Amino acid sequence: MTTPLFSGVLAGAILSGTSLLYATLGETLVERAGIVNLGLEGILLIGASTGFATAAATGSAWLGLLVAALSGGLANILFGWLVVSRRANQLASGLAMLFFGFGLSALVGTPYVGAVITGLPKWRPAWLAALPWVSGSTLFNYDALTWMALPVAVLVWWALFRTRWGLGVRAVGESPAAAFASGRSPGILQFQALSAGGVLGGLAGAHLSLSLTLTWAEYMTAGRGFIAIALVIFSKWHPLRAVAGALLFGGAEALQLQLQARGTDVSPFLLEMFPYLLTILVLLAWGGARRLAAPASLGRTFYGSE
Amino acid sequence: MKKRIGSILTALALGLTAQAQTPRLIIGAVYVGGVNDYGYNRSFHDALAQVARDLPGVKLLEAENVPESGEVERVMEGMIQHGAKLIFPTSFGYQDSARKTARRHPEVCFEYAGDGAATRNFGVFFGSTQAAWYPMGVAAGKMTRTNKLGFVIGLPIGYALGNVNAFELGARSVNPKAQTVVVVTGGWSDKAKEAGAANALLDQGCDVVGMHVDSPATIIQAVEARGAMSIGFQSLEARALAPKGWITGLGFTWAPFFTRIANAVIAGKFRGEAIYQGLGEMVAVAPFGAAVPADVRKLVNAAADKVAKGYNPFTGPLNNNQGGQALPPGATVGADQMGDLNWYVEGVIGKVR
Repeated sequence: MTTPLFSGVLAGAILSGTSLLYATLGETLVERAGIVNLGLEGILLIGASTGFATAAATGSAWLGLLVAALSGGLANILFGWLVVSRRANQLASGLAMLFFGFGLSALVGTPYVGAVITGLPKWRPAWLAALPWVSGSTLFNYDALTWMALPVAVLVWWALFRTRWGLGVRAVGESPAAAFASGRSPGILQFQALSAGGVLGGLAGAHLSLSLTLTWAEYMTAGRGFIAIALVIFSKWHPLRAVAGALLFGGAEALQLQLQARGTDVSPFLLEMFPYLLTILVLLAWGGARRLAAPASLGRTFYGSE
Repeated sequence: MKKRIGSILTALALGLTAQAQTPRLIIGAVYVGGVNDYGYNRSFHDALAQVARDLPGVKLLEAENVPESGEVERVMEGMIQHGAKLIFPTSFGYQDSARKTARRHPEVCFEYAGDGAATRNFGVFFGSTQAAWYPMGVAAGKMTRTNKLGFVIGLPIGYALGNVNAFELGARSVNPKAQTVVVVTGGWSDKAKEAGAANALLDQGCDVVGMHVDSPATIIQAVEARGAMSIGFQSLEARALAPKGWITGLGFTWAPFFTRIANAVIAGKFRGEAIYQGLGEMVAVAPFGAAVPADVRKLVNAAADKVAKGYNPFTGPLNNNQGGQALPPGATVGADQMGDLNWYVEGVIGKVR
């Protein structure tokens, strides 16, 4: 029995888009507070390896998920200490975090290479499984992270755009001096956004190791952290547009694999380029519309109001 | 308390005698990944550990996760300082560094897993897997119910295409309807894409999946989770990942060759040679999974015997999958020409470029 192309691509898009979405949401939160973390890939790796190591050592994928979330948050707090407390350059610190993440994840993960874990449990409601275009595919057979991805995106949107806290975070991203003058503490808000963003980044990595691949391998994220940074721009710093971005990019990757599996007469090298080509095209199309611009103080260091 | 002091004293004494006995040979091994990867690196580690166990007075120094950069030279120099007289640089990309180090240390013997010329103290070896995939195809062709076999490869290089072709040829020899669908992931270790590729193949009705990537772990587990069958590659231990769907697989068995080399170095008779061996020597068929019936096992073993005795599945006439002739009658592609292979055999669904 074969699965229709649409179901296969959608299923693949959701599976590979899950980690992209969590990573994109995390980076969106951080960038909305005016901070660029180029080390996102490192955060993903730390989440993937600490989560996997914990799951392998304790036998509990849930505990792994928790540790991944915490270590992602901690890594971002360390980054915050550099760029907020110590006012270090964000781009340089981000790259340092990237390599720190490479090294730390390899160190933590090495003893667990080849460990066999029971991944996060998956379930699919019976009425969905009964649909003819669903039954043969992996569609709707998801772990908790995938089921929660959309609600989390809505939560991040709500927190950013419908709460006082979110208003404060966005104000800091636009103009920390103005936010400070209005009685907010830019540093504290940035730390809060960073830790929440780090937790999301850790979860993104955990989805790769604890659900999608059930393995740890050095540099297993294979650039997904960088794609997520591009997706933040793609979605114009908006959590709900990030859902579309993650699905589109995950879908491009899934389409490429599905077309090959269907024996489509297209070069695998051309298909390989497809997701990246799509990113370039969309970035071109979006252009620099003012309404969709980056937070005004993104990447700038706030030296206080003196 | 007395007992404890006693045991400490014994331990000290043992330590002293161990130190007094200088090893006859120290072997250094450099790996590009971790040795528990159920794949390529583990195959070397298992073989060398066996050599160290079997030969008295042989000690093993190992370095894992050594990148294919200048770093490997530093690691090998360190091993030589610690007395290593035989070094195994086991990754293809170590070539330049290993050759340089070998020139600096004519007293140290090297066995490099790759290709190129051998020199007096620099041997070259590798296992030829292509023909060995033929019996794997026989197994898959007999076990499939959908007549669609899947194959995930990292990049469409000649060696990988050869594996796929022999697999399809083996499958066709027992099941003329068998097709092999190939998905290329674009890298040797992109785990998330490997999972996606396995899912895509299963979505299209493939029920047996083989692979040529660094570690088969992700693909085998993804296939197992969906109740399909897999054929492993690189390490014989991968079967632990698929208690239900494991059919069989290929693994490297370097131990006999490594033992011979270690003995030659101890005897002072080492001479670098280029040695490529296939099924029955450096490559072996993994144990069968429980679901494989006796008649299939017999057929697979017979095919493996045939290949081990010299049967070359790459013997013309063979058609390519574009409708043309790939090999005229009587022509063959030998194990040493696989790197240049650039076509898929008839019955493979996929494009080379």
